[in-house]
Amino acid sequence: METAVLIVVLVILLALFFDFTNGFHDTANAMATPIATGALKPKTAVLLAAGLNLIGAFLSTEVSKTVSHGIINESAILESGAELFLSVIFAGLIGAITWNMLTWLLGLPSSSSHALFGGLIGATLVGVGLGGIDFGMVLSKIVLPALIAPVTAGIIAFVATKIAYSITRRYDGKPDGRSGFRWGQIFTSSLVALAHGTNDAQKTMGVITLALITVGWQSQDHADPYLWVIVACALTIALGTYLGGWRIIRTLGKGLTDVKPAQGFSAESSTAATILASSALGFALSTTQVASGSVIGSGLGRRGSTVRWRTAGRIAIGWLLTLPAAAAVGALAALLVVWLGGWGVMVDAVLALVIIIGLFLRSRRNAVTSENAMSDVAESGRAVEHPEVPPPTRRRTRIELLRALDHAERKADEAEKAARRARKLKKNGGSETEIRAARKAAQRADRKVAEAQQAAQTWEALSASRRARAELAEWDVSDEEAAEREEQR
Amino acid sequence: MTVEIDWMAFVNVFFAAMIGACLIVTFYATGLRLLVRAGRIPVVTPAEFTDAITILTDKEVKRAAKQAAKAAKKSPLTEGQKRLALVGAYACFILCALAVIAGILIIVIGH
Repeated sequence: METAVLIVVLVILLALFFDFTNGFHDTANAMATPIATGALKPKTAVLLAAGLNLIGAFLSTEVSKTVSHGIINESAILESGAELFLSVIFAGLIGAITWNMLTWLLGLPSSSSHALFGGLIGATLVGVGLGGIDFGMVLSKIVLPALIAPVTAGIIAFVATKIAYSITRRYDGKPDGRSGFRWGQIFTSSLVALAHGTNDAQKTMGVITLALITVGWQSQDHADPYLWVIVACALTIALGTYLGGWRIIRTLGKGLTDVKPAQGFSAESSTAATILASSALGFALSTTQVASGSVIGSGLGRRGSTVRWRTAGRIAIGWLLTLPAAAAVGALAALLVVWLGGWGVMVDAVLALVIIIGLFLRSRRNAVTSENAMSDVAESGRAVEHPEVPPPTRRRTRIELLRALDHAERKADEAEKAARRARKLKKNGGSETEIRAARKAAQRADRKVAEAQQAAQTWEALSASRRARAELAEWDVSDEEAAEREEQR
Repeated sequence: MTVEIDWMAFVNVFFAAMIGACLIVTFYATGLRLLVRAGRIPVVTPAEFTDAITILTDKEVKRAAKQAAKAAKKSPLTEGQKRLALVGAYACFILCALAVIAGILIIVIGH
């Protein structure tokens, strides 16, 4: 029993450390876009994110129930023995932290949540066997949401961006007030931080609750985590957010180079709405993936944007790899426990210590660059290419076409007048200088008609150019010149 | 082994999130549009210039504010219409906040 108590304490400590790194890592997801658009100062953003993560952790416990009463088969655990299973949870956490650290150091896109689930699943498979995992639950509450949520967030962000731009668009060239979306971003990014608290803090609560159920300190029928577990996890994630966030946010501010306030506002609304709706139904999502999906979707919502498929593919592969890779690391850690028993736990604990020290040393080095793995969301921003000048809207095309037609018409009138005057002078026997001047004026006006005609063609105004050509035929000063001009055209 | 997947839950999440996000964006954008119509065009400069943002000089910011003031002055709306637009703008911002509060309350009550 003493060993079990020791392992429970170790599991709780490791789970809280994971929660801390989760806050450290994922703050950026909530605050990336407001920093990138200048809606918030980085330090204000971090403080806001820390406070709202704390509050968010108290709002719902559905995700925690999914972790503690969903993915692991409790009856199989009881058969395998509490002590072994505690060691398995410990090994799973080691797997999650190791994979998280590794991807962070190597700059690979990853998700803390999927690393946690992967680690737990891998360790349980080795420690307890296939019966230890409820695959139906894993598929419906983790795997499918992981595949569907980023796409959902992307579609919603795309629609929301279109709405935001179409409502605020002006055609008269006057200021549209879109910079006002910066105020709104303070509000929506706070919502994302709150949503992050409702989803991510609960994953650790679920792991701790699972450990408590395993040793019999919490009834299996009591699905909600204890208040002290909620408070501990909420405080830890908030602390991680506060201590680590600003370094990461600085990176993201550099990475997300082309986010406009209206786009950021829409992306954050989509991220918050998707995570909050999922949390209410107990779907354990990856905030990183949802935020990335939103950034890509909102980027595509801007006119003329195209996807850089290579970058998008790299991100998607990183996401797909996270769960099995963390599962492999968790399985290795669990294998040590199965082979070496108590010594295996010791070896795992030493490994965990080495990783934590590695993290600490890494954080001491001022090596926060856009190449860092923390910039997952920024990487998603680069998956969409925006033209410097977006193509015109259909309404803008219509307006420009009408303008070009009007211009061509005015110039045609001028040319006609000048040509008439030149003809009149020639007929009435005007001086050579007068006739030359009138001809020059007609030629000048003719050039302007050509320019207007070109403008009209630019706006696909075939009818305008046809009309201009028809009018040109009548403006000629002499038949020869008219033929020459027509040929030139 | 049969795996039962509640597909309706995914549909619910999609529509709940779509409606929530679109409501927030529509209300806020309409509020901004009405604010512009009311002659109060917001000119919000970035709180801090990260590498992502093109740095604006004071002169550029002043020019933007001047343009906004000029556009507001040339508004074809009457004073009454402008006041109505302003009230509409604030109503939209309040509705936007209410939509969020309602969403959070649904989650908390559901919990």
